[in-house]
Amino acid sequence: MVVTSLEKMIGLQREPTSIRNICILAHVDHGKTTLADCLISSNGIISNRLAGKLRYLDSREDEQIRGITMKSSAISLHFEKGNQEYLINLIDSPGHVDFSSEVSTAVRLCDGCIIVLDAVEGVCPQTQAVLRQAWLENIRPVLVINKIDRLIVELKLTPQEAYSHLKNILEQVNAITGALFTSKVLEERAEKETETQGISDSVHGDQVYDWSAGLEDTDDSHLYFSPDQGNVVFASAIDGWGFGIEHFAKLYSQKIGIKHAVLLKTLWGDYYLNTKAKKIMKGDQSKGKKPLFVQLVLDNIWSLYEAVLKRDKEKIDKIVTSLGLKVGARESRHADPKVHLNAICSQWLPISQAVLSMVCSKLPSPLDITAERVEKLMCVGARTFDSLPPETQELKKMFMKCSSEDTAPVIVFVSKMFAVDFKTLPCNKPRPLTQEVIAQRRELARRRHAEKLIASQGQELPEQALSGNESELTEPRGQELTSQTESMTLKTVEQEADKESFIAFARVFSGVVRRGQKIFVLGPKYDPAESLNKLPSGCSAADDLPSIPHMACCTLENLYLLMGRGLEDLEEVPSGNVLGIGGLQEFVLKSATLSTSPACPPFTPLNFEATPIVRVAVEPKHPSEMPQLVRGMKLLNQADPCVQVLIQETGEHVLVTAGEVHLQRCLDDLKERFAKIQISVSEPIIPFRETITRPPKVDMVNEEIGKQQKVAVIHQAKEDQNKIPEGVQVDSDGLITMSTPNKYATLSVRAMPLPEEVTQLLEENSDLIRTMEQFNSSLNEDKKMHEINQKILDRIQEFKQKLEKNLQGRKWRNAVDQIWSFGPRKCGPNILLSKFEGYRKTVWQCLDKTTKEVSKYRDFDNSIVSGFQLATLSGPMCEEPLMGVCFIVEKWDMSKAEEQMSANRQDSEELDATEQTKNEDKVTSLPSSYPTESSSENKKLQDGSQGSPNSSEKSSKRKGETLLADCYGPFSGQLIATMKEACRYALQVKPQRLMAAMYTCEIMATAEVLGRVYAVLSKREGRVLQEEMKEGTDMFIIKAVLPVAESFGFADEIRKRTSGLASPQLVFSHWEIISGDPFWVPTTEEEYLHFGEKADSENQARKYMNAVRKRKGLYVEEKIVEHAEKQRTLSRNK
Amino acid sequence: MSIFTPTNQIRLTNVAVVRTRRAGKRFEIACYRNKVMGWRSGAEKDIDEVLQTNTVFVNVSKGQVAKKEDLVKAFGTDDQTEICKIILTKGELQVSDKERHTQLEQMFRDIATIVAEKCVNPETKRPYTVILIERAMKDIHYSVKPNKSTKQQALEVIRQLKETMQIERAHMRLRFILPAKEGKKLKEKLKPLIKVIESEDFDEQLEIVCLIDPGCFREIDELIRCETKGKGSLEVLSLKDVEEGDEKFE
Repeated sequence: MVVTSLEKMIGLQREPTSIRNICILAHVDHGKTTLADCLISSNGIISNRLAGKLRYLDSREDEQIRGITMKSSAISLHFEKGNQEYLINLIDSPGHVDFSSEVSTAVRLCDGCIIVLDAVEGVCPQTQAVLRQAWLENIRPVLVINKIDRLIVELKLTPQEAYSHLKNILEQVNAITGALFTSKVLEERAEKETETQGISDSVHGDQVYDWSAGLEDTDDSHLYFSPDQGNVVFASAIDGWGFGIEHFAKLYSQKIGIKHAVLLKTLWGDYYLNTKAKKIMKGDQSKGKKPLFVQLVLDNIWSLYEAVLKRDKEKIDKIVTSLGLKVGARESRHADPKVHLNAICSQWLPISQAVLSMVCSKLPSPLDITAERVEKLMCVGARTFDSLPPETQELKKMFMKCSSEDTAPVIVFVSKMFAVDFKTLPCNKPRPLTQEVIAQRRELARRRHAEKLIASQGQELPEQALSGNESELTEPRGQELTSQTESMTLKTVEQEADKESFIAFARVFSGVVRRGQKIFVLGPKYDPAESLNKLPSGCSAADDLPSIPHMACCTLENLYLLMGRGLEDLEEVPSGNVLGIGGLQEFVLKSATLSTSPACPPFTPLNFEATPIVRVAVEPKHPSEMPQLVRGMKLLNQADPCVQVLIQETGEHVLVTAGEVHLQRCLDDLKERFAKIQISVSEPIIPFRETITRPPKVDMVNEEIGKQQKVAVIHQAKEDQNKIPEGVQVDSDGLITMSTPNKYATLSVRAMPLPEEVTQLLEENSDLIRTMEQFNSSLNEDKKMHEINQKILDRIQEFKQKLEKNLQGRKWRNAVDQIWSFGPRKCGPNILLSKFEGYRKTVWQCLDKTTKEVSKYRDFDNSIVSGFQLATLSGPMCEEPLMGVCFIVEKWDMSKAEEQMSANRQDSEELDATEQTKNEDKVTSLPSSYPTESSSENKKLQDGSQGSPNSSEKSSKRKGETLLADCYGPFSGQLIATMKEACRYALQVKPQRLMAAMYTCEIMATAEVLGRVYAVLSKREGRVLQEEMKEGTDMFIIKAVLPVAESFGFADEIRKRTSGLASPQLVFSHWEIISGDPFWVPTTEEEYLHFGEKADSENQARKYMNAVRKRKGLYVEEKIVEHAEKQRTLSRNK
Repeated sequence: MSIFTPTNQIRLTNVAVVRTRRAGKRFEIACYRNKVMGWRSGAEKDIDEVLQTNTVFVNVSKGQVAKKEDLVKAFGTDDQTEICKIILTKGELQVSDKERHTQLEQMFRDIATIVAEKCVNPETKRPYTVILIERAMKDIHYSVKPNKSTKQQALEVIRQLKETMQIERAHMRLRFILPAKEGKKLKEKLKPLIKVIESEDFDEQLEIVCLIDPGCFREIDELIRCETKGKGSLEVLSLKDVEEGDEKFE
């Protein structure tokens, strides 16, 4: 067969009726790529012999090694049926779940699809998924039942058995299609119902409820697969044969003399041939007769296989001659009978003929695009088609016409970007050299040679050169220069070769795309209505336009015909074709809509079956290679439709992929193509929060903690307090009283858990709190009074009211008005209250705008607040931030400090003046503008090695604080430290708890794997919230929560355990208190009974806490050696 | 008369000796290796897991048991177990292999954590992770010194890491307000200490917002106080200039 010329392809591209855009979809390992191979071989791109073994479209190395397809790739084929010529744009897609995003990108560009099924395995999970995907995208499927040879060779079924098996499979597929259909009808009905509900409610009186679900009214016969409809092909791609019913119907209508049309209808189904009457009768099974399909079709194939595999030479010859085939001597003598078989079958029933003719006759051309699909493509989200602007609605006609006229607006959809090596681009392909180039090179070489000669001469005669022969002196320099420039050019060439070039995988839906054309790039959030208002009508992308959100302008640099591994340059591409576009790298991230008309809406985003869920942190092996990694990750993000890449606040580079196989591919890509460095992969860091709760009322064995046991509990609590050093007073109700090291100030702090609603409220309003904080600080800093927005003020007021509503009861009386600060970072979910007399400063300053009174506490206000901030930033359990804790300062005694201050003042008169001015400064200055010394202490706390007490003393001396700064360092620093410590102790005397981040997890699963889903969930500490059945299907939707800490590998495990029938989706939802006490040890008698003295059973909270502490290098209470006696015995020398 | 009979001789293996001097006498007890530190930190609560035998010796390796009257003289009691506990908490010991190992490992982690907390990648203004710092520390073959504080060592590590990778102390953002008179003069002096000047406003007063290396803070602070005699003020806007929130590549 001859390779079809490029010109012919281009010619065919102009006729939409002869174009078929199709993709091959199936479960993994059902033979998609093999089938594609067979189809490609029909065009002579690869040899017939290699078809099925080469896997031409699997161009990646890891695809070949693993034997699975990992990306969708396209190839254009030429096919002749009768006298009609067709151009078939074939897209092969991966079958593995992890790459279902690639399937989505393929499906979007096609009008039809070939569903491939393994005849042995039948319907598999991914088959269901692709059927659903095809259904959602409104594209028409045809069926290929592949690997029929396995029924003969492996399962050794008789033709009769094989027939019933095939019938079974077909029924299964149709059942799925039916289910999809019913669920859609039911959905539509449900929608209608909600619409009409308002009306029907108002109408009283007896109504006859309409029980029909609407299913009866809707015709669905065209949806199903049936051989007599001609949309099923039976094939064995590896042996190179395949047939539709039609082929045999034609054959036998001549042979037996029964009408072609009759045979077509009866060849599949329970009909049998009454040989005597030469009539086809119904009801084969009841009469124990062979069905027609078995008798006429399968029997023949079976006998052929038998003959070849048993090497029955005579029989083979007989069959071959009767079929009128020619088999080469080489094939017939080959040791492997399969080769022989292939040679015969591929001539007798060529698979490409069967499949492609079915494709051409049954699948729609770009012209036949349904109105329904167009509307679906054009309407993003919940918008209805009618709500689009009229100009946009006009475009629908263009879609339907699929016209390639020059006037038609160009509409192109880019479904993915893929990276190709710079070298493989057509413009960089080695070309035969022209005469001129050769001449030029020769000239260059000659010159170089001459230079070399001169240089060597120069070396031989150095004296001559020294004696002032300038021409010779300049010569070598010139040579140097040329060599330099040469190496420079070499380098740039290398750099270019290194670069990955991105090509957009796209399809033209309307108009003609030309090279160099200017075009709009529309992002997914682009709204045509907006730009239509702004732009003058009839403008084009070439004009100078005002910038419009989510819209950019670009030039189409290169157009390519996609030919599997290769690309062919094109000048223009008319409507209805699949193409590659170069030069969009800067404009398109993953997918986009291109159009010359601003009225074009962006297409609906691709619906991905699998969302990325496997999270890992990646790091370069050598820390100096960080920039390469970042660049590589950016490229990877563009090249892969499904991967997500992000840098977290902790500095982790996180890669989120759809599954383990996908992850592996992404990592390989990063290592070998995009970053080209070694990387290491680890579990991402899991955040926790620390909080406190009310004392528990029941113990671990659910016994109420009565009086007697309470003694034991208190005893344990006392033990805890032993950790608290001397000099700290602890009341029985958790009030901590502490003095600064120099005993000048005393603080009393208590910690209380905040109600859950308040914590939530604070979380939600963190932005508002931040603006409030900013405003407060600017308010205090008189010089920069910027007026606050009334709207924000209202919001603050509302926020305050909500807080008041949630903080009720005796304990919280006046609490809201006493809020001093939030923390950590001044906007977190923790509160500092001031409940002592004499000083009042709240966060609500911005509301009442009162001037502040001068007070002795003012100066050190900020020290307390920063102490609180530090305490909330890292809790005592594992240095994680606090959440939902309220600290109450009940006493702040500074009398001694006051005395000292005044004494100090009297002592040093000359310093007093500066002090005075300073104080005045402070009155007007805000807490955070004050930290001249407090922040320096603050810093000193964090950075003790920096500030030796000497220098800090020196610095504060000039402040007139000489006496306050004693051997313990400056006073404000001491206050910060004391406040921080007091907060920590106040926490420690309360029952502390860890809070874990939780995912909500939605799992779709079929009924039979439900049990296993539950098993995996409970093993990973998950909790099921609800479970319901999806209407019209046998799928269950399970909603559960799962700690983030347990989610690593969860998706993979659940897929493995359910053989891929359940797929979870994880989304971060909230923080949840882990009920177990991380410091718990058995105390009551019942607990001793139940758990034993050491509580050997695992404590989840403790496990998490210790893991975090270990990671951070904090002390973990763990025995280095568990059993002293079991150590390796050292030195037994006697 | 006691006869030396090898059969009732108890041989101790895996001994860690803890010794103390009291009342002019040396007392020793025989403990298991790798257990004493656990007892002292409170991780081990079972005394039998720590002590090989609850007798107090004068010399463990020779098997010389302390005399009763010496014990009473030194400790005021003759309860061997109580005395053992006293010696355990107060006595000196040689740290065993695993104990030392875990101690060093913990310090190594601690140093890495401090470095990771203090430093950023100057390109992205984002912190490095602890794991990465640990690996970098191993790459430069940093060895932990057990008798130096981890913070001191962390500063040293930062200096050494700067040679192999892009790492910098996270900058502090400061604001000075200087009186106009001294403003100009002072600015010249401050200039070499400042990394980046973000904004400068000169009307009645000179107001500068800038980024500095935290190491220079004290110097700057002092300079401003000395030169302006308390009139100029300095304000810390943020201790660590880092990017907040997650960033998604788009």
